[in-house]
Amino acid sequence: MKSSELKNQEYKYGFSTDIENFKAPKGLSEKTIRFISEVKKEPKWMLDWRLKAFNRLKVLKEPDWQKPKYPKINYQDLYYYSAPKSMKDKPKSLDEVDPKLIETYNKLGIPLNEQKRLSGVAVDAVFDSVSVATTFKGELDKKGIIFCPISEAIQKHPELVKKYLGSVIPISDHYFATLNSAVFTDGSFVYIPPNTKCPMELSTYFRINASETGQFERTLIIADKGSYVSYLEGCTAPMRDENQLHAANVELIALDDAEIKYSTVQNWYPGDKDGVGGIYNFVTKRGACRGKNSKISWTQVETGSAITWKYPSCILQGDNSVGEFYSIAITNNHQKADTGTKMIHLGKNTRSKIISKGISAGKADNTYRGLVDIGAKAKNSRNYTQCDSLLMGNKCGAHTVPYIKNKNSSSTVEHEATTSKINEDQLFYCNQRGLNQEEAVSLIVNGFCKEVLQQLPMEFAVEAQKLVSISLEGSVG
Amino acid sequence: MDQLFNIDFKKISSHSKKEVLERKKFFELFLKAGLPNKKDENWKFSDLHTIICQNFKQIQNYDDFKFDKKIEFIKDFDHNHIIIVNGVFKSFDLSFEEKDKVKIKNLNSLESSSNLSSNNLHNLNKALSIGGFNLEVEKDYKCKKPIIIYNYFASNLDNKIINNSNKIKLNQNSELILIEYNFGAKSKFFNNNFEKINLNNGSSLKNFVIQKTKCNGYFYKNISGTQDYNSSYQNFILSSGLKFNKIEINMDLEKENSNCYILSGLGLGNEEHQEIKTQINHLAPNCKSYQKIKNVLANDSNGVYQGKIFVKDIAQKTDAYQLSKALILDDLAEFNAKPELEIYADDVKCSHGSTSGSIDEDAIHYLMTRGIELSNAKKLLINGFLNEIFENLPEQYIKTFSEKIIKEQIDGI
Repeated sequence: MKSSELKNQEYKYGFSTDIENFKAPKGLSEKTIRFISEVKKEPKWMLDWRLKAFNRLKVLKEPDWQKPKYPKINYQDLYYYSAPKSMKDKPKSLDEVDPKLIETYNKLGIPLNEQKRLSGVAVDAVFDSVSVATTFKGELDKKGIIFCPISEAIQKHPELVKKYLGSVIPISDHYFATLNSAVFTDGSFVYIPPNTKCPMELSTYFRINASETGQFERTLIIADKGSYVSYLEGCTAPMRDENQLHAANVELIALDDAEIKYSTVQNWYPGDKDGVGGIYNFVTKRGACRGKNSKISWTQVETGSAITWKYPSCILQGDNSVGEFYSIAITNNHQKADTGTKMIHLGKNTRSKIISKGISAGKADNTYRGLVDIGAKAKNSRNYTQCDSLLMGNKCGAHTVPYIKNKNSSSTVEHEATTSKINEDQLFYCNQRGLNQEEAVSLIVNGFCKEVLQQLPMEFAVEAQKLVSISLEGSVG
Repeated sequence: MDQLFNIDFKKISSHSKKEVLERKKFFELFLKAGLPNKKDENWKFSDLHTIICQNFKQIQNYDDFKFDKKIEFIKDFDHNHIIIVNGVFKSFDLSFEEKDKVKIKNLNSLESSSNLSSNNLHNLNKALSIGGFNLEVEKDYKCKKPIIIYNYFASNLDNKIINNSNKIKLNQNSELILIEYNFGAKSKFFNNNFEKINLNNGSSLKNFVIQKTKCNGYFYKNISGTQDYNSSYQNFILSSGLKFNKIEINMDLEKENSNCYILSGLGLGNEEHQEIKTQINHLAPNCKSYQKIKNVLANDSNGVYQGKIFVKDIAQKTDAYQLSKALILDDLAEFNAKPELEIYADDVKCSHGSTSGSIDEDAIHYLMTRGIELSNAKKLLINGFLNEIFENLPEQYIKTFSEKIIKEQIDGI
């Protein structure tokens, strides 16, 4: 990519769609929750579940230990439900969907239109609070795979939802997780039946459009015995000078011999150069390797959001289970990221690997915070952690806060971390061969991130590489 | 907390009524927040509140400072000495040094700075401090022999609390080797010590902490210091054998080209809990810090390392390194680490590493095939593991001396 091209690509998803919205009354109250539940035509058990979470929320306090500080959020000044008006009665096929919406997704490059598909990725698109459309339904149905909005799953597959919802992230977990449990609006639900390999990548695209709304999506993925699924998640939001809250919960459950691969490219609006506006991305993601030989792998590319605060975690319960975490977090201007993972080893012979790359430019702050906890019963477990940080300029910060606990004599934990700036010899070498400063930096940074980029599925890897370059634009020299 | 502490302020000698009031004020402050527990980030892995409550029913302060026992001096090498009995500064002997070059004085209490401390144990120390010593080395004087601090604890200290403090100041281009040598009878007490270090331009302090015998005491030591241009601070922590020990080191590298080394080799046994917590603040360019912590953990021992490197935005060309390694020998043993980096300057070289695991089985196998039996093979490997620290000790006589002590400890494992 040429540098002139780079310069012009500020935040290309910053447009907003002028569409008529149907919103819940402002504010957080039992009334709002009942309203959401009613609009979604939810059964009573679901409403009770939400209200239980809401009652719990009343006694919880917002956490304040994280590094990025933010002004207090007024939870009464937010809309907890916003949907395009045309979605009030659910469209049955894409033809019935508001063309303006389809246009939005086309602009974003999301292949909603099955006929025009090239990439072969099944997509569930979530616009503000509702799921707009899910593609490839027929093909997935044939295999018995369930891929639908979670609101639909609550009605059609209550036994699965009841059994697994909240089993990894309990409703009493922490403030934002509990808030999500009370007011979550939509999200994806995936169930892969035993011994099935999902034939295509499943993907959800999240977009916050309306102003003064919070997006609270909930994703639940269950991989039954011997199954495999790869799931992608992408996010964008329009440019606004106010801060918007995004507090999602993602739960993964892998049973015996199952594998889940979860990839995220997070590109919410990061705010402008002076740190005005942007999304507060306070997300709880947690996976449980319940079964023997199961595996959960998180890959994330975090380039957007004013504040990112998330720790995709693995609870390795089953013997021989594997947890992986690959992360790139890029912060520029006034962005702040506090991200990392938790690997909780409970079963025997469990293995985990953490590769984290943090890049900090401008006036940004980037923190890796992680926990590796090897329990007394997790014999012969292993962990390897590597977190590298790259600093560009002396106005930004890079921090590493790992917590390492080992209660076992047969387990091994290794952790290493380095912090440095871009090697001047490498820069010089690139310059000498005719690359300008910005191109050279982009190349070197891409190389720095390679270990993580390689883990991404093909379609995402290309986009992610471009994102890495764009996010650092203007930070050189 | 009120019930746990039974404090009689009359037992503490105070100069004035004002001081008594001041002490009471600090004690009330302490009681308000209590002993730190695991909710406090600094005490996450060593819950002092629980540890103290489990082992003490009542804690009293102490006023019986009579002492008539003869202290057995170390004969392995020539040295000066300071004698401290039950936390109280008794006497000193500087016969190897030139007159008036090293000054040791009684320190009544920490200068009563009224500014409040976020460390509640500091409030406790200020309230109940029984003094300590003040050591100063004159400009351009390089001490000829090391000073050993004989830190003796008598047998009548059960359920007592000892709060003391000391100050060490090295003037321009001076040098000192200071050895803290802890020994004594096996009583169960709590020692809360604060130490201030001030290293001036070009000065060098080498500090050793050596524990002679196993001890049932509970120790907390807080070292805070500042370093000027080209100064050097080295601390070698070899304090195995305590029921509970937490050493907290906060060093400010205030001026260019100063350096700070912290090395520790510990072999922990039954019911022992040791924590080393460091914070090295790189506040000026071209400074260096190096930390290497090695723990061998047997039985149900608990080892903790919390290290933080902070690099200010102007502190370019910083070179900071942190390594913690633990060898876990038994399933009940535990090692927790939090090696932390907080960096705001870009042209720096900062790295940390942390590993924990068991003894390499291949190595044991190798030794056994060569006719070395299992227990000896293990000892050999443990020795090799800790040797990395002992090899780096400066001064041959100290190396020989401390190797003798560590050998006894390893044989005990």
